[in-house]
Amino acid sequence: MGAAILPIFSRAAGVAAPFVLAVAIGAIVLAATGHEPLGVYQLMASEAFGGERRIAATLTAATPLLLTGLAAAVAFRSGIFNVGAEGCFYLGGMVAALLGFALAEWPPILVVPVALAGAAIVGGLWLIGPGILRARLGVDEVVTTLMLNFIAIDLTSWLVNGPLLVRGSANSATAPIAAGAELPRLLPPTTLHLGFVISLALVVLYGFWSRLAVAGFRSRLVGLNARFSRAVGIDVPATFLRMMVLSGLIGGLAGGIHALGLVHRFVAGFSPGYGFTGIAIALLGRNSAIGIFLAAIVFGALSSAGATMQLFSDVPIEIVGIMQGVVMIFAVAKLGFGQARAARA
Amino acid sequence: MIDRARVATRLGARKVTRKFGPVVANDRVDLTVAPGTIHAIVGGNGAGKSTLMRILQGVDSPDEGGVVLDDVPVRLAGPADAFARGIGMVHQEFMLAPNLTLLENLILAREPIGAGGLIDWRAAQAQADRLAALAGVALDWRLKVADAPVHQRQILEILRLLYRGADVLILDEPTAVLAPAQVAELIGLMRRLKSEGRTILFISHKLDEVMNVADAITVMRAGRVVATTIPAQTNKAQLAQWMVGEPVDFRNRAPAPRPHGDPLFSTRRLVARDGRGLRRLGPIDLELFPGEVVGIAGVAGNGQDELVACAAGLGSIVEGALSFAGADFTRATAARFRAAGIGYLSADRAEEGLCLAASVCDNFVAGREQDAAFSRAGLLRRRAINLGAERALEKLSVRYGRLTDAIRSLSGGNQQRVVIARELERRPKLLVAAQPTRGVDIAGIAFIHAQIATFRDSGGAVLLVSEELDEILELSDRIVGLYRGQITGQLLRSEASVEKVGRLMLGQKAA
Repeated sequence: MGAAILPIFSRAAGVAAPFVLAVAIGAIVLAATGHEPLGVYQLMASEAFGGERRIAATLTAATPLLLTGLAAAVAFRSGIFNVGAEGCFYLGGMVAALLGFALAEWPPILVVPVALAGAAIVGGLWLIGPGILRARLGVDEVVTTLMLNFIAIDLTSWLVNGPLLVRGSANSATAPIAAGAELPRLLPPTTLHLGFVISLALVVLYGFWSRLAVAGFRSRLVGLNARFSRAVGIDVPATFLRMMVLSGLIGGLAGGIHALGLVHRFVAGFSPGYGFTGIAIALLGRNSAIGIFLAAIVFGALSSAGATMQLFSDVPIEIVGIMQGVVMIFAVAKLGFGQARAARA
Repeated sequence: MIDRARVATRLGARKVTRKFGPVVANDRVDLTVAPGTIHAIVGGNGAGKSTLMRILQGVDSPDEGGVVLDDVPVRLAGPADAFARGIGMVHQEFMLAPNLTLLENLILAREPIGAGGLIDWRAAQAQADRLAALAGVALDWRLKVADAPVHQRQILEILRLLYRGADVLILDEPTAVLAPAQVAELIGLMRRLKSEGRTILFISHKLDEVMNVADAITVMRAGRVVATTIPAQTNKAQLAQWMVGEPVDFRNRAPAPRPHGDPLFSTRRLVARDGRGLRRLGPIDLELFPGEVVGIAGVAGNGQDELVACAAGLGSIVEGALSFAGADFTRATAARFRAAGIGYLSADRAEEGLCLAASVCDNFVAGREQDAAFSRAGLLRRRAINLGAERALEKLSVRYGRLTDAIRSLSGGNQQRVVIARELERRPKLLVAAQPTRGVDIAGIAFIHAQIATFRDSGGAVLLVSEELDEILELSDRIVGLYRGQITGQLLRSEASVEKVGRLMLGQKAA
């Protein structure tokens, strides 16, 4: 019994460590800047989870992170370090917003699925190039997907400033989508929308897929040991390509849900780095469904608390950014630590 | 060097006990290595040799008992502490930087510093020459490690320990990767180091070498020391019996009748390159018939790795053709090779034969997850997989805890049995077996040889590549010599002898 419980405990401690360290370092920063850490943390906790509306705000903030975390995890567990979800998020958001506007005549039951499918497809297509380059030529996907992010962000920014700019608008934004294309709100007047349920369902589905599906099994083996996988007859390049495209599909869908559920149009600066936060979430959650869920909730809570906290206190919102940064650093550091231990054993 | 002539125990263990959960890896182990001697530790997989070495090297600490250095009980804080006390180890997997030269590897992390904080290469070269002279070996110090033959890398590892001041050398299966002539060279080096007053503790499976070179022998089985003896008072059969606990049958199998008909596997003017793009193999013409074992004899690095890779569908074929069961397979994928009936025992069990990070069960089913027996509509049938794995592993007497345990928790011999179970369950027509008993104990070797022979008797063809000449001679119906990528000749088992095969391995005519 003891032997069975100990690894679970040490794993839980390993997962919690980055958060504990972030809280500790945040406390030092707060104390150094003349704030009372305990009081600030209490305020943050009540801003994130104190009451239905606050919880709804946290879940709303967690919605895009669930899917960008999932996009990263699908790639990582196959041994592909795809950092291109941010670009897919932008493209998916724009395509969904355009379809949501252009298909205003369509019934809502059709326009939402079509717009979301369009968002996912453009995200998947966007990563075919890096996928093929990695699978066939061994080109480092970190470089290609990172660079494609800049192209996607600037391309969409140019489109909404030029060809797609709404007449009479000074903002760099597309026209608002039709009311029928908006994802329904779950708890009016809060902004929590159906996208949260869709995202959560996909994370749960991923949990089953990774354990039970043949494709999930294969991609895990490829991620653990590509040479072994090839020797037992698994098509490694095809797995790389498929998982890269799947990751892009999910990244694009994340952007589409964000556009239809919350923003209701596409604007320049559509994402405050959701795609990159997703990388931290996948690392923190160790690519597991439950881990992705918990990490997304924590990051959602940090950002929703940060957004309102500065209204009620003089605590600078930057403290939230600092804490998120610390969590990410230690999430990655822990990864290296785990590898060093594995290498020694 | 310190005068240690008067101590009785340069390095030893006193009642060392180490448990991992319910497994007792070391059970009150006593070991006494006298200064200036060569001491051999023999034992099967799971005998506790590696655990003991880890403890002596300070990597692990005992639950009870302790390590003795120069007759004094000590508590080792870690490998660096052990090293500071003169204990150094050469692992089976070499720890060298492949892209650096031999000289750079020698001084790595202990560089002689000259004027201006720069590396004093002249002093480094002088040190290297001094060590080489002391060891009586000639090395090309400017060669990159990646380009150096394996026995030179081994010698470099040993010289590196000397360079850093070790006087007790622990060698973990030092001859496992060497050809006979190279083994002789290594043994010569070990003897010279002994005459210099150094102490050597070495782990081996090869009883010939142990009898030949050791001053004292400690035999371990199931975590205990079962015998401590000297070569003059024992013999191979007795050592083997101590190791496995029962008399071992070294009986030879009858060779298969000369096969006829169409070859199952054949190559025509086949040329292949290695992972770095160098042509290592060919052009060669080779045929394999059902019901025969063809052994490839060659010194490591003479093209057998590339031949194995090509036969398993993992090679880089430059020219020529390869056919299997009458169809052209020159450009076929590994998946097609396997689907057509080719099984593969990789020489690199840790990286290619197994996925060490995955479970016993996953390693068994890998590659067959889409078979109708194991999945339906894209979903795994976990229960069917578990049943199939249990049955197959039972058949091969694999010892494991649970199917969900990590495969790395199994001993080397049991890991190899999982690989064999996976490959034979596919019912292949051709088994490509590369170093099938590397890192496997005597009882395990006999078992694996029996599996291969049974497979042959049931009509299967086996392409056997081994650095163990004994293994080739025992199992093969036909022996093909490979030298610098070319076939140097072939011998039927009835006409083969160690001397004749040895000549083939060195590129000479058999007779």
